[in-house]
Amino acid sequence: MIIKILIFLFFLLTNHNVNSIDFEQLRTEKGINFWFVKDKSLPLISMSFSFKGGALLDPSGKEGATNLMVSLLDEGTENFKGNKLKLSLKENGTKISLSAEKEKIEGTFQVVSSQIQEGFWLLYESINKPLFNSEDITKVKKQIQASIKIDKSVVSTQASEKFNEIFFKDSLFSRNVKGTSESLKKISRNDIFKIHKESFTKNNLIIGVAGNIDSENAKKYIDYVFGELPSSKAKRETPPFNNLEKGKEFFEMETPQATIVFGQRGFGRKNKDYFAARVLNYVLGGGGFQSRLYKEVREKNGLVYSIYSYLMPYESDGVIIGGFQTRNKNVDETILKVKQEWKKMKNQGISANELKEAKTYYKGSFSRNFTSTISIATLLKVVQYYDLGKDYFANRSGIIDNLKLKEINSLASRIFDEKNLFFMIVGKRNM
Amino acid sequence: MKLVGLILFFLTFFSKLQSEGIYNAKSFQLKNGMKVVVVENKRAPVVSQMIWYNFGSGVEEKGKSGLAHFMEHLMFKGTKKFPDNYYSNFISRIGGSENAFTSYDYTAYYQIFPKYELEKIMQMEADRMVNLTLTEENVEIEKKVILEERFQRVESDPSAKLDESMRSILFPNHYYGTPIIGWRHEIENLTFTDVLKFYKKHYIPNNAVLVLSGDVEFEEVKKLSKKYFGRHKKGKVSFGMETRDPLIETSIKVEMSHPTVKQKIWKKFYRVDSYKKSIKKGLALDIGLKILASGSTSLLYESLVNKKKIFSAVGGYYQGLTKGEGNVYFYAIPNEEINLDEVDKIINDEMKIILNQGISEKRFEIEKKKYIFDSIYSRDGILNPAQSIGESLTIGFSLDDIENLNKKINEITIFDVKDALKSFQENKNFIIGGLKS
Repeated sequence: MIIKILIFLFFLLTNHNVNSIDFEQLRTEKGINFWFVKDKSLPLISMSFSFKGGALLDPSGKEGATNLMVSLLDEGTENFKGNKLKLSLKENGTKISLSAEKEKIEGTFQVVSSQIQEGFWLLYESINKPLFNSEDITKVKKQIQASIKIDKSVVSTQASEKFNEIFFKDSLFSRNVKGTSESLKKISRNDIFKIHKESFTKNNLIIGVAGNIDSENAKKYIDYVFGELPSSKAKRETPPFNNLEKGKEFFEMETPQATIVFGQRGFGRKNKDYFAARVLNYVLGGGGFQSRLYKEVREKNGLVYSIYSYLMPYESDGVIIGGFQTRNKNVDETILKVKQEWKKMKNQGISANELKEAKTYYKGSFSRNFTSTISIATLLKVVQYYDLGKDYFANRSGIIDNLKLKEINSLASRIFDEKNLFFMIVGKRNM
Repeated sequence: MKLVGLILFFLTFFSKLQSEGIYNAKSFQLKNGMKVVVVENKRAPVVSQMIWYNFGSGVEEKGKSGLAHFMEHLMFKGTKKFPDNYYSNFISRIGGSENAFTSYDYTAYYQIFPKYELEKIMQMEADRMVNLTLTEENVEIEKKVILEERFQRVESDPSAKLDESMRSILFPNHYYGTPIIGWRHEIENLTFTDVLKFYKKHYIPNNAVLVLSGDVEFEEVKKLSKKYFGRHKKGKVSFGMETRDPLIETSIKVEMSHPTVKQKIWKKFYRVDSYKKSIKKGLALDIGLKILASGSTSLLYESLVNKKKIFSAVGGYYQGLTKGEGNVYFYAIPNEEINLDEVDKIINDEMKIILNQGISEKRFEIEKKKYIFDSIYSRDGILNPAQSIGESLTIGFSLDDIENLNKKINEITIFDVKDALKSFQENKNFIIGGLKS
């Protein structure tokens, strides 16, 4: 059944700015649901998909298994042995990218119209028919181990790793998606097949498609690629984190400039206050060259080149994360300024003008999602992933308009608390 | 320009692409010498504006490294008419995004925004080309920011420090040897007067190319460009020093040892001819190096990573979109302890074997096809077209060169590629670097 819905991208007072786009909710013969936008402006097709689950569900002691499995998907398949798959991708104007994240496996697929059959065949092969040759496993393990070593050599990546390790305490969220050099050694070929089978199931799949293809063909190709995957009753959910660390920790590295990552609890995308929190964060540390953190720490005091904060929503909960780099001697002063801004947000919230400007930002920026087929496909996927509903596009402006200053500031006083912040400092102590 | 329906006839598709050009851009020039290019794309009611100045760190005086990049930061500090951060604030308020970047050969600024604010955005961009108001305090605070940027990008990253050092030796006499962000001690000594002088001298309309891509009309852009940019007076163009580097006749190895380094990496940088010397030869070298060294399908990777298992990664690529000489970068991550010379020998020997065996027609055709497919992808979005057109024009190519790239690709033969790789193999202008703990 096809339901056609008119999406209103953004409403603005001047009527010539109203824009709409057709999107369809489709269901294939094999029962796979997906959202679809037909766009004939270029001869190409883009698809964005997620499998719920992800790296945090790796068996204990075998951390990194999902990432390893995903990294092996283009190494060789039943009909494309060795590097034939990668060469065929090039030859057929096809791009496949797959990556393991904490709670999901993310994928994008793009193909030029003239090679549509070949392109979908290649995607079918890499999802359904990987060989996982022992030799390839050894090779890819070595590559991941080298990249783990490189991460440990770089101050900024080391800082996020250490932050996760300590901030999330004993929960699974403290793990590194790549695992460790030791845990990788313990992953067998059988483990990889098992993870592959568990990860790619029809019920965990979410898809958005945009581009030069009609809906019947899109259905046909989606069934072809994903239709053979097993259905599984098992819910692929990560247990939520409980307590989060507060205060600060220091990790010594030989560097003239320290990296600081900080955070506190936030909330999940499905929370009804999510958009309000997003607006608050936009004012605090989100909005490019406009945020309070940027103005106070960079523009007024020249203490950093970049400083930011963002909401990181997970399935059942979420966090607010921030970061900056500054010379070792300025670390304490800058942390103090971040805490002051946090406190100000808690006690005073935002002004009427800040709210007004944040609202127009979120309304105006939405249309940027519609400038390429891959960003359209990804938007369609994300709205489904977070269960925002088929009316989200129509309702979004209303959600923004309905944010009231009093309520939003009462939310600010409830969520922001400088006493709950945790700062991970990776740098060199001042002598 | 409508492309709908083209796929129905994809047999004619390639020939059509070639005759029509990649972007079908329209352009004109203002009386003051500023070029304007428009790429219409009505998919979403969004526009991206890029202004490209055809100078970068290359026009800095000796001893004033980092000045062009410093200036780029200061361009956000406001004008009399739009003071402080009015421009940036305006862009945020309407849901836009913006940024800027500086290179050796160019400086560029961009904004992506809803189309109904086109006039205001063009007005503000035109305004800051000549009406910037700066205070000594602006300059002093921004200098601290830039030093933090240098610490973030270079000083706290041993791999970046190695690259910087390698380039300074590879280009001993050309501005490509001086870091774009500037040497630390020279940034520290840049003054308010340096900045003002630089701004007045270089920010002139005849140094600029304006590119608008997205939901805009050519005629509208023409009208607005005349109105806002057309009022600026033409200036006197001052070029950077056109120096050339000597041949490298010694063998040079640079090592960076740092306690934080946990993974050894081998690098090799070459000086090679750029696209400016010959587009055809540049493309032949690019295709050749893609077959030889790009990604995990390359011949080097197949042999040294997959078969012989000496490296966990090896690769290389050509960067030839430069006013001066171009570069080729190679890197390798050895699985075991191997010294720098040994890594170099392994790769050279392998290259010899590969080139003696010859490159297959099939590989060559795959890379050529990929170029054509990539030109379709490059139109999916609104910043991409502005970016590649702006970059190519400021380097010194014509719009025709860009539009007809696919035609040039099709003219290249496998013999061109073999020749390009052969002279690359004989190239002695390189330097080897090692990163270790």
